Amino acid sequence: MDTKQAVLDILNELTGEDLSDQMDENIFENGLLDSMATVQMLLELQDKCDVTAPVSEFHREDWDTPNKIIAKVESLRNE
Amino acid sequence: MSNKRKLWQIFGPVLCAFILLIILFLIPWQNGEKSDNALFKASVSQSQTVFKGQSIKQAAFEKNYVPFYGSSELSRMDALHPSVLAYKYKRNYRPFLLGGPGSQSLTHFFTMQETVDQLSNKKAVFIISPQWFTKQGQNPAAFGMYFSQLQAVDWILGAKDSVATRYAARRLLDMPAGTASETTKYALMTLASGQKLSKYQTLYLKARRRMLANEDNFFSSLGMTNNIPKIQKEAGKLPGTYAYDNLRQFANEQGQQGTTNNKFGISNGFFDKKLNNKHLNKLKNSQKNFDYTKSPEYADFELVLNELAHEHVNVLFIIPPVNAKWAKYTGLSQSMYQECVAKITKQLTSQGFNNIADLSKDGGKKFFMEDTIHLGWNGWLKVDQYVKPFMEERNHPVNYKLNSYYFTKAWGNKTDVKMPDTKSKAATNIKKN
Amino acid sequence: MINIQPYSNPRYFVILFIALLPLIIGLYHGRRFKAYEAFVSLLFLFLMFNGKDWIQGVQLIGYIIFQFLVTFAYQKYVNSGKNKTSVFCLAVILAILPLAAVKIAPLVPNKAADLIGFFGISYLTFKTVQVIMELRDKTIKKVDPITYARFLLFFPTISSGPIDRYRRFKEDYDKAPERDKYIENLKFGTRYIFQGFLYKFIIGYVFGTLWLPQLAKDALFYGQANGGLRLSWALLGYMYCYSMYLFFDFAGYSLFAVGTSYFMGIRTPMNFNKPFISQNIKDFWNRWHMTLSFWFRDFIFMRFTFFAMKHKLVKNRIRLSQLAYFVDFLIMGFWHGLTWYYIVYGIFHATAIIINDIWLRFKRKHQKQIPHNQFTKWFAIFLTFNVVCFSFLIFSGFLSTLWFGWK
Repeated sequence: MDTKQAVLDILNELTGEDLSDQMDENIFENGLLDSMATVQMLLELQDKCDVTAPVSEFHREDWDTPNKIIAKVESLRNE
Repeated sequence: MSNKRKLWQIFGPVLCAFILLIILFLIPWQNGEKSDNALFKASVSQSQTVFKGQSIKQAAFEKNYVPFYGSSELSRMDALHPSVLAYKYKRNYRPFLLGGPGSQSLTHFFTMQETVDQLSNKKAVFIISPQWFTKQGQNPAAFGMYFSQLQAVDWILGAKDSVATRYAARRLLDMPAGTASETTKYALMTLASGQKLSKYQTLYLKARRRMLANEDNFFSSLGMTNNIPKIQKEAGKLPGTYAYDNLRQFANEQGQQGTTNNKFGISNGFFDKKLNNKHLNKLKNSQKNFDYTKSPEYADFELVLNELAHEHVNVLFIIPPVNAKWAKYTGLSQSMYQECVAKITKQLTSQGFNNIADLSKDGGKKFFMEDTIHLGWNGWLKVDQYVKPFMEERNHPVNYKLNSYYFTKAWGNKTDVKMPDTKSKAATNIKKN
Repeated sequence: MINIQPYSNPRYFVILFIALLPLIIGLYHGRRFKAYEAFVSLLFLFLMFNGKDWIQGVQLIGYIIFQFLVTFAYQKYVNSGKNKTSVFCLAVILAILPLAAVKIAPLVPNKAADLIGFFGISYLTFKTVQVIMELRDKTIKKVDPITYARFLLFFPTISSGPIDRYRRFKEDYDKAPERDKYIENLKFGTRYIFQGFLYKFIIGYVFGTLWLPQLAKDALFYGQANGGLRLSWALLGYMYCYSMYLFFDFAGYSLFAVGTSYFMGIRTPMNFNKPFISQNIKDFWNRWHMTLSFWFRDFIFMRFTFFAMKHKLVKNRIRLSQLAYFVDFLIMGFWHGLTWYYIVYGIFHATAIIINDIWLRFKRKHQKQIPHNQFTKWFAIFLTFNVVCFSFLIFSGFLSTLWFGWK
C-alpha cells in the first residue's frame, strides 16, 4: 500500500478527520494528536507499514505534520 | 553587521551597566538632607531597615533625637508612650526608637557601631529587660533580623584589640548572620585572635563600607512602616497641658477601658490575639522554671556598656517589671526576677552607670503593664517621671570605670548577687506616686 | 573552606564569567577547549561540594562510579545481541536505587540518614535512566565514556536541571558552533542571565523573602483563630504569593543554567514558557518545568501506554490514558519526595488532567453548541491559573504545617 495513504488512514482513524488537505498543518499544536494518540500511531505504523519506531526515536518536531510523518516513515523503511 | 558590532551590541550594555554600578556604589555621595518628616517617621517606625541602616540614624542623632534602645515594649504605643508624650508636649527632644521583638544587647552593640561619632557625649535611654537574660541569651535567628553587614564592617574597621573586641568578634562568629560573608568572617577571625587586619583586608572592607553605606543611603528609607498617624491619634487623646495628676487620671481611665475582658489587667486586644482560652490553660505554671540569673547575656550587656563608656554617653537605664498577676499565673518566680535585677544593677553601678530607673517591683500596680511583660499606661507615665527630668538637665559627658570581669563566664553564671545600695546615688528628683 | 553554591550571589557570576572567558574566546574562534572545559567544570563542582558539603562530594563520586558500572554493563549486554526485558528492568532499577535510598532515608529515624544524598541526585537520575532506556531502544548505539561523564557532570545544570538529553547534548558537545550561531548563543545567554537576575533576585526576592514569611505567619495565626480547616484570607494570599515565588525563583534559576550553557556552546533546553497563560492543565504541563514533564511524557507516559497497548492490557483507550496519567503523576509525586503533600500534588494533577481530557472530548463532540471567544479564552486561563496555584499550595507543604504542625 502507498505510504501516504496508509499514514492518512491511520491519522483519520485517530483524529476523526481527513487530513489530506492539511498536509503541513501542525497536528500537535492544533490539538489533533496527543501523546496517547502518538503511541497508537506508532503501533499502527508497526502493524500496517512494517516500520519499527521506538518511543525514543520520537521527537515531536520530526513528526508534527502529516508530510513529516510520511517522510519519517519512508526513511525508516529504507534504513 | 560586522561581528565586532554584534558583540558590542551584546556586551556593551552589560559593560556600561557595570561601570555605572561601580560609580554609583563607590562614589562617596553626601548624605542627602533628610526632611523632618522623614526623620520623625523613621524614629517611630521600628523598621528593621532603620535599625540595620546608618544614614537616617546619623542624621537624626545630629538633631534633637535621642536613642531609646529597647525591645518589644517600644511598640506599645499608647497615649503615654515616650514618643507620644514628646510629640504632644513639644519637648525639646524626640525619642528615636531602636528595637523590637528579639533585639537584645548584642544587636544594640552592633547598631551603635554605625553612630559612634553621633553618640559621643550624648544622652541615651536604655530599657534593659530581664527577659533577655535567658540560658541561651541572644537568639541567633532574631539577631539575624537586626544585623547588617554595614554594622559589622563599621565595627571591624574601628576595632582595637581588647578583651571586649575579642569577645565581640567571637560572639559574632557564633551567629550564622555574622559569618554569612567570607571577608567579614576572616576579618572577625583575625580580630578574635587578637591580630591586626592586613592592609588588603582594610582596603577591601573600606570599599565594601562605601558600597554598603551608599546602599543604605539610597534604599533604607524605602518601605518604612509609617506609625506617624498612630502617634498623632494617641496624642489627640491626651489633655492639652502637661500635669502629672491629670495624666495619672487619664492613664487610669485608658487602662480601665482597655482591659475589660480578663482578670490579669492585660489589654483586650493582646488577650484575644495571643492568649485565647486554649492557650491560657497551657500557660498556667509554664514559667515555673524560668531562670534569668545565669546567662551569656550578661557578657553581651557588658559590650553595650563598653561602647557607651567609650563614647561617654550619658545614659538612663530603665528596668521594667513583669505583670504581677500574670507572673503569679505562669509561676514566674519574683525572687528570681529580683535576683536578676540585682545582678544587672550591680553590673551597672559598680562601673559608674548610676542613673537607673528600677521599676521592677511595680508590676502589681494598676494599669502599669499593657500586657504580660510590656509597659503600658501608668508604666509609661512612670518612665516619663525619669525621662523628663533626665532630658531637662544639662548634658555632661560621663566617665565610667570598666571592669572586664563582667565578660567572664564566672560572672554570667554567678548567683546570689546582692542588690547594691543605690538609693544615695540614683536619680532623686522623682515624683512619688 | 570556600564553598560556593551555584548562582547564589552576584560574585558567583563574576567568577563564572572570568573562568569561562578562555572557553568563550575559543568557541568564538571555532574551537572547543575540551580539557580546559573539564578543568573549569571540576573546579566549580569542587567549590560546590567543598567545605561543609564534602560528604556530598564523596557521595557524588561514588554515585557516578556506580552509574558508570550499571550503564556500561548494560551496554555490553545489549551489544552482545541480547535484549531481555528482565535485564532491562534490572538495569533501570539499579539506576534508580541510589535515588530511592535517598528518598526513603528521611523516613528512617537515624542521624546517619540525614547525611545520605547530595544536591542534584534527582536530576542526575533522569539522565542515567534515559540513557539506559535509549540503549535498549538502540537509539543510542554506543555511549562514549567521556561524553557521558561530561553529560552527567555538566555543572551549569547539575543541581536543578534543566534536564538535557544525551543525544542532543553530544551533538552540541562534539563540535564548536559556527560563529554566527555562537554570537547568537552569546546574545541569548546574556539575555537569559539578566532575565534570571530580574526573576530570581528581584521578583522572586519580593515574593519569597519579603512577603511570604509574613503571609505564612498571618495564615497560621488566623487559621488557628478560625478553627475548622484553618482557612483564612491570608492562606489565599500565601497560595498566590508562593506560586509566584516558586515560578520566579525556579525560572530564574533555570535561566541562569540555560544562559551559562549557551556561553559554553551547549544549547540546554528551556524549562519554562509563560506557564501562567496556559489555557488548560495539559497546556500548563507543556509550559511548566518542561524538561521534567517532557521526560515523564517520553519515558513514563508513552512507554507505559505503548507497553499496555501492545500487550492489550487495557482495552479502552480512554481508560488507558487515565491510568497512564495516574502512573505518570504519581511517580512524579514520589520523585519529589515521600510526604503526603507531594503525593497528593501528583494525584491532584492526574485528576485535573483527566477532567480536562473529558472536557476536551465533550467540547469536540459539541463544538457547535459551545461558544469559543475571547471571554472563554480568558476564563480558561483564569481557571487554569487558580487550579495550578491551588496545586502549588499543596506542593508547598504549608498545609501540613498549618494542620499538623510539621512539614
